[in-house]
Amino acid sequence: MSNSTSTRRDALRQIALGLTAAGAMRELDAQAAQHVHSAAAAETKGGKYTPKLLNAHEWATITKLSEIVVPADERSGSAVDAGAPQFIDLLCSQNEELAVIFTGGLSWFDAEMRKRTGNEFLSASASEQTGLLDDIVAAERAVREQGAEQALFARAEQYRGFSGYTVKPGSDLAPGVRFFDWARRLIVDAYFTSPIGVKDVNYIGNLTLSKYEVPKEAIDYAFNRSPFKIV
Amino acid sequence: MVVVGSGAGGGTTVRVLTEHGIKCALLEAGPMLVPGKEFKEHQMPYDVPHRGAEDGGAAYFGKGKPFGYFSTTSGGWELDGEPYTVAQGSEFRWFRSRILGGRTNHYGRMSFRFSPYDFQPYTKDGLGYDWPVTYDEISPYYDKAERFVGVTGENHNDLPSAPNGQFLRPPAPKVHEMLIKKSCDKLGIYCIPNRRAIVTEPMKGRIPCHYCGQCGRGCQTASAYSSAQVEVFPALRSGKLKVFDNAMVREVLTDGNGKATGVVYIDKATRREKVIRARAVVLAASACESARILLNSKTKDFPSGVANGSGVVGRFLMDTVGFGLSGYVPALEGMPHYNTDGFGGAHLYMPWWMWDKHNKLDFPRGYHIEIGGGYGMPGIGSFQGAARRAGYGKGIKDIARKEYGASIGFAGRGEMIPNIHSYCEIDRNVVDRWGIPVLKFHFKWSDYEWKQARHMEKTFADIITTMGGRVTGLSAAQREADGISTPGTIIHEVGTVRMGKDKRDSALNKYCQAHEVKNLYVVDGGFFVSNPDKNPTLTINAFAWRAADHLAEEMRKGNV
Repeated sequence: MSNSTSTRRDALRQIALGLTAAGAMRELDAQAAQHVHSAAAAETKGGKYTPKLLNAHEWATITKLSEIVVPADERSGSAVDAGAPQFIDLLCSQNEELAVIFTGGLSWFDAEMRKRTGNEFLSASASEQTGLLDDIVAAERAVREQGAEQALFARAEQYRGFSGYTVKPGSDLAPGVRFFDWARRLIVDAYFTSPIGVKDVNYIGNLTLSKYEVPKEAIDYAFNRSPFKIV
Repeated sequence: MVVVGSGAGGGTTVRVLTEHGIKCALLEAGPMLVPGKEFKEHQMPYDVPHRGAEDGGAAYFGKGKPFGYFSTTSGGWELDGEPYTVAQGSEFRWFRSRILGGRTNHYGRMSFRFSPYDFQPYTKDGLGYDWPVTYDEISPYYDKAERFVGVTGENHNDLPSAPNGQFLRPPAPKVHEMLIKKSCDKLGIYCIPNRRAIVTEPMKGRIPCHYCGQCGRGCQTASAYSSAQVEVFPALRSGKLKVFDNAMVREVLTDGNGKATGVVYIDKATRREKVIRARAVVLAASACESARILLNSKTKDFPSGVANGSGVVGRFLMDTVGFGLSGYVPALEGMPHYNTDGFGGAHLYMPWWMWDKHNKLDFPRGYHIEIGGGYGMPGIGSFQGAARRAGYGKGIKDIARKEYGASIGFAGRGEMIPNIHSYCEIDRNVVDRWGIPVLKFHFKWSDYEWKQARHMEKTFADIITTMGGRVTGLSAAQREADGISTPGTIIHEVGTVRMGKDKRDSALNKYCQAHEVKNLYVVDGGFFVSNPDKNPTLTINAFAWRAADHLAEEMRKGNV
C-alpha cells in the first residue's frame, strides 16, 4: 500500500504543479490518477493470500458461496475474482462479532445441507446449493414483508427515544436468513468496490479535469425518454 | 489575543486579526491538520484492504466514521470521553469536530447569504426575534466573504430568497439536474446554479477545482474552502499566529472589573490545566461549546456564567429542519455513462420559492432543496438494494448495471422557529474526561417544523413524478413516521449565545461583542438570532470578519 499512497501523492502533486505552473487552464493527464489505481489493483490480485481467520474448509465454502452470489458472466468476473473471500476473512480476523457471524453461519449452512442431502454444502450438487439459497431468499422475502409493518412501528418508537427493538425472522431458516444477509452484503460490497466491479458498472470518474462538461449524447438520451422536450 | 476554535469563525478571526497586525493564539481542541496525511482524496475503495468498511467492518456495525471512511471528518456525534446528556423526552445529537479547521474540513460548502427578510423575521410574521443587524449593514461583509472564500453562483434579480452576490462561474448542470430543473419549471419552483465554496477560477494562490467530486474528503489543492487551509495556514505564515492544538478550553477568566483576561484550558497531551492570558478573548468553539464555556465560567460577578446576565446563553438552540426523499427515474436508465463527479455537490439547487405566498401555507418561513444523483463512485453499500431485490446470482449484476445512476434524491433544509423547549444547560452531575461539566440538551420540534417537512415530502414527490420518476425508499406511512430529521443531525446548531439590541434578552451586540464584557466576542453559530434555510457557514464567515474588524478598531481606539 505504501507504494500506491506515494504514487497517489505524486499524482496530486502533478495536479498542483500542472495547474499552477501553467497558469492557464489546460487539460491534465487523467492517467496520473488512474495509474495509482491500477497499481493497487495489481497488488490485490498478485500473490497468494493466506487466510487469517477462516480455516481451509470455511475458506473453500465462502469461496463457493461468493461464486454463487456474484457469478462471472460474459462481461465480468465473479466476486471471487474481485477478492470477496479475502475481504471477508480480513474483516473477520479484526472483529470477533463478525467472525462469529461467519464461522457460525458457514457451519449452519453445512448442517442444514447435511439434513437435506447428507452432504456438507461444498459436496452438495449445484442444484442442491442453489436450492438452499432459493429457500433462504424466499424466507427472507416473507420476513421482509411481515417485518415492514413492525419496522415502521420500530422507527416511530425510535424517533420517540426508545431503542433495542429488532425484527426477528420467524422460520426455521432464520439463522440462515440472518447469515446470508451478512454474507451477501460483504460479497456484493467486495465485488462492486473492486476494480472489476467498478469497471462492470462503468464508473467514469475520480479524474482531474480542467473543465467540467456534460456530453450532449447523454442529455439527448435522457430528454428523449423523459416527459420533456429537448433543451 | 486568544481565539478558541479554528472552524469558519475562528479561522476567519485569526486571519483578519493577523492581517491587522495583531498577534493571536489559536486554541483547537483537536490535533493539527496535515492535509497530505489526513485527506483521502483520489483513493478508490480498492486502494484499502477494507474497501472503506473500516477495520473489522466497523461501518457495518454503525461504528464507522460519520460520513464514511474516506471523509475527512475528525469527530462525530459521539466522542470518547467527551459525553453530553439529553433530557428525558428530548432527542438531540451533538456533532463535534476535533481537528484544525473543524467542520469546514468536511462540510457541504453550501454558501448562501441570508435574504434581507431573514434579518427581520419577527417584524415579518410575528414569530421568533429580529436580528440587531440589517441586510444592508452586513451585505458588504457577505461580499468580502464571498470574494475571499470563493463562492460559485449566478445573480438572479427576481429572487429575494437568493440575493445577488460576488460569484465565481458555476459548473454546467448534470443531466439529472437538467431534468429536475424542467420538473421545477413546471411546478413554479426556481432551480438555479448552486452556491458553493469552491474555486472554479484561480484565486489568491488557490488553484481551480479539478472536478473530482470529493470535497468531503478534504481538498489537497484547497480549491474547496476549508478554514485550516485558507485562513489558518496563511495566518501562520504571517508569523503572528501561534496554534495550540489539543487544547480543550474550560472557562474564560475575568478580572472582577468586567474584563476578560484569558482562558483556562486542559492540554490533552499532558492532562494538565494551563492558562493563556490575553488582551481579548474570541470564542469560536461552535455554538454549543461556546455556550458551555460561558456557562462554566461562573464568578461572583457573573453568577450565571460570563456574559450571561440576560440568561439567554444556551437558550434558543436551533437546528435545520431536514427531510429527504429519493426517486427512480426511468429516463436516466441506460444513458451513456459520463463523469458526474463534478464539483462535489449538486450543480443546481432550489432556493425557497414561496416567500410571498405564506397565505397558502400552513407553516411559516421556508426551505431550500438540495439535489443528489449521478454515477457516484461505488462504495460500501452502494448496490445493496440491487442485491436484496435479486436475492443472489447474475441478477444482482443485471440490476446494478441497469439502475446505476438512475436514482435521484432530494434533501430539504428548512428554517426552524426558536422555541423555549430547545436549549442546552450545564449538567451538574457529569463531567468529561477533562473534568469539565458537560452539556445537557433539551429539544422539541414544533408543529411549524413538522408541517414544513410534510410540505417538503409532497414537493419532492411532485418533482419526481413530474419527470416521469417514482418515489423510492420509504412508504408513505414510513415517511410519516420518520417525518423529520433527528435534532442535531443536520449539524446546523446555532442560536445559543444570541445577539440583540437589548442586553436584557441577548448576550452579544451586533458586532458579536458581549454586552457585559467588552473584550469578549463570540463568532460561531452561537450569535444567530434565527436560523434561516441558508446553511450557516457563510454567515459565520461574514460576521466573524466584521467582528475582527470591530475588535481591531476598538483596540486601536483603546476601548479594548
